Amino acid sequence: MIDLSLNEVETLSAKAARGAGFSWGLAEDIGRASRRIAVEDDNWSQAMLSLAEQAQSFEPPSPSRAARWRNGEADVATGRPLCPIRTAALLLDEPLPANAMPLTILDVGLPIWLDAMLRRSQMRLAGPVGPATSVDVVVERRAEIEQPATSRRGAIEERTLATLNSFAARTYVPESERSRLRGAGGGRVDDE
Amino acid sequence: MTAIALRPPEVVMRLQRLGAAHPTRLSFLRQLIRRATREKWRVRKHLFDLDDNGFGRAVYAVETPARTYSLIAFSTPLDDEKRSDRVIAQAWDTSYVLYDGLPDAADIARLEANAPLQEAGRYTRSELVLARANKSVRLFEEVASALAQGHQPDEEQLLGVGYLLRTTAVYGNGKFGIADRDEIAARPELAGSFQAEMLTVWLIRSFTLNLVDHIARRRNPAGAARLAPDLRRTLGVGNATGLGMAPFLVRHPLLTHSWFLARETALARVRAEAQAGEAERGAFSNALADLRRRVARWHSDDSRQAAATRLLAGDLDMLAGNLDQLLAKPRPWDALYRFAEDHFSLEGQEACVSLILEPHGALIDELGDTMKADETPGHVIDGGMNCGSLRQALLDCYSWAADIDFADPSANARFWYVSAEKLEPRLGERFEEDGAELEQPLATARDALGLAAALAQEPPSARVADFLLRRPEWRHAVRRAQIVAKFPYAEIHDNLIGAELRPVDILRAKLAFFGARSFDPRSDRWLRIALFSGEPLIEDVATMAGEAA
Repeated sequence: MIDLSLNEVETLSAKAARGAGFSWGLAEDIGRASRRIAVEDDNWSQAMLSLAEQAQSFEPPSPSRAARWRNGEADVATGRPLCPIRTAALLLDEPLPANAMPLTILDVGLPIWLDAMLRRSQMRLAGPVGPATSVDVVVERRAEIEQPATSRRGAIEERTLATLNSFAARTYVPESERSRLRGAGGGRVDDE
Repeated sequence: MTAIALRPPEVVMRLQRLGAAHPTRLSFLRQLIRRATREKWRVRKHLFDLDDNGFGRAVYAVETPARTYSLIAFSTPLDDEKRSDRVIAQAWDTSYVLYDGLPDAADIARLEANAPLQEAGRYTRSELVLARANKSVRLFEEVASALAQGHQPDEEQLLGVGYLLRTTAVYGNGKFGIADRDEIAARPELAGSFQAEMLTVWLIRSFTLNLVDHIARRRNPAGAARLAPDLRRTLGVGNATGLGMAPFLVRHPLLTHSWFLARETALARVRAEAQAGEAERGAFSNALADLRRRVARWHSDDSRQAAATRLLAGDLDMLAGNLDQLLAKPRPWDALYRFAEDHFSLEGQEACVSLILEPHGALIDELGDTMKADETPGHVIDGGMNCGSLRQALLDCYSWAADIDFADPSANARFWYVSAEKLEPRLGERFEEDGAELEQPLATARDALGLAAALAQEPPSARVADFLLRRPEWRHAVRRAQIVAKFPYAEIHDNLIGAELRPVDILRAKLAFFGARSFDPRSDRWLRIALFSGEPLIEDVATMAGEAA
């Protein structure tokens, strides 16, 4: 096992999320949520790996589905699991009216991510979600926002780290000879 | 007392002005020195185990009121051809860790196996900062041999360079496994921006001076001289900074805003003073004289910087010639600033900002406590806003970008990327190099204008949350737009991907907030600086009278 700082957890997760196809803005959200998971759950790296690997199998909430949630109408599943990140982003960006809560959402993929993303708001999932692949969830309102703990680290197995790094590496550019020469630094030895 | 308006972001946040920034008394190393002096921090050599050539290990323990921190230094042999400022270097003359507490022998042994490897090593939450430094070889050797012969080194040569060793990286906040900033952010002595990093560099400075003394004494135990106190105080620590640091200000918009807002608030406060007291006049004259001496020694082979430094010298001459008359006016500091605005180069104007603040610690030093920010509030997106309002906010906040035509290749010439080899930010040429599809989201002006255009396609009453549900690719730009609307100094008001961009301008602004001097651009994308030159030695602050300036 390798012990990562939470900043490393956040940075690696954001890069891996971008490498897995999430937009830059969503990748930032994922980095923050990953840090939150690492603080509270030893399985953050497995959660991150599942998210990166399954990113393409989810679908975002459709505008009509989002409208049903907001209007307090019963949710209708589509046959493909909902993307927990896109769902959380929607709920965070414009929290549901009080009369639409609690809200049951059907067939959410990797609900640990919906749970983690919502923790910075007054919304919570009712009950523990665990490492489920997809599940129906209930979003409810809490009076208080829990502050994340500090003084935690993110343990990760070497093989998982390598896989996440390979997702992150999709965002890197091999240096051209030209940029290597122009460089970030001088390319000359000390001359004083 | 009528308030003076803050200089607006349209003036302050332009790259040309950022590239003329000077350190002020609010700079981070000055804040650290003030606290250490006030609290009488004590430093002792806990371990100094170096051989005749100066290779080995040393530990300096700093006792602050609440806690002890230790600099652990390793000095190792290095072939001359491996000594490089570049981030791609793999070995260094010296490596350092700022340790949380006092290390035991096992900690030192563990770090001796890692710190010399720097990024290739692995660290724990007990380490707060990781750094390395290379010798200024010729100067270091000349100082060592002069001292070994029993005399002091040539002062002009010494001051021309300004330091014996130069750091090429100082890492904080969780890098390579060291402690997260969250773990120290609640400690008063390290809560401010970059205080742990500045403490590390301050201690490195003392180590470099003790290192050269030690080598001289081992060469000539009976007759070696010790580097004279006035020379010790004049020398700082060098630093070479490259592109890796450039995206920081863009990626930390709330923090950036807090730094500039504090400095501009300080300037406005001082300009609003009705009169200049005797003590303030005296302190100003001293600061001006000190700066003129420094400018006379400020050397750079960079033709732009050399020209700017010449203009600055002329500006300071003119200021000295007009000082009595300016300070006799009502609101003298405002008169002085406006005189600078009317007559001086940007370099001269920004030097005046620094000089004007210098005598006014009682009025402005508390602003130092505001120069920090948690970026979390900026993360929240207000999706209930409507698209029409967001578009209008963009057009208002980015009016400076309205005339940039990103269809023009020169406006869109570069792209920021992360290099696969070093995992460091780099700047590529969009139309000449591969990889632009992997561009980092640092094209602030282009993305703001692009977002405004995308929002123009939406009904003005549509909610941003619904827009983002369909267009998640704009999420980072929406987040940024809402931050910039609330925090006006959060954004650099220039195109960061244009052909004319000089990344050293961004670097200089950040380094000036650290307290850097002697800016010496080595290209358009890296520069050398000096930190702590002319400032008290950390081992002296416990016995210094009163507060350091």
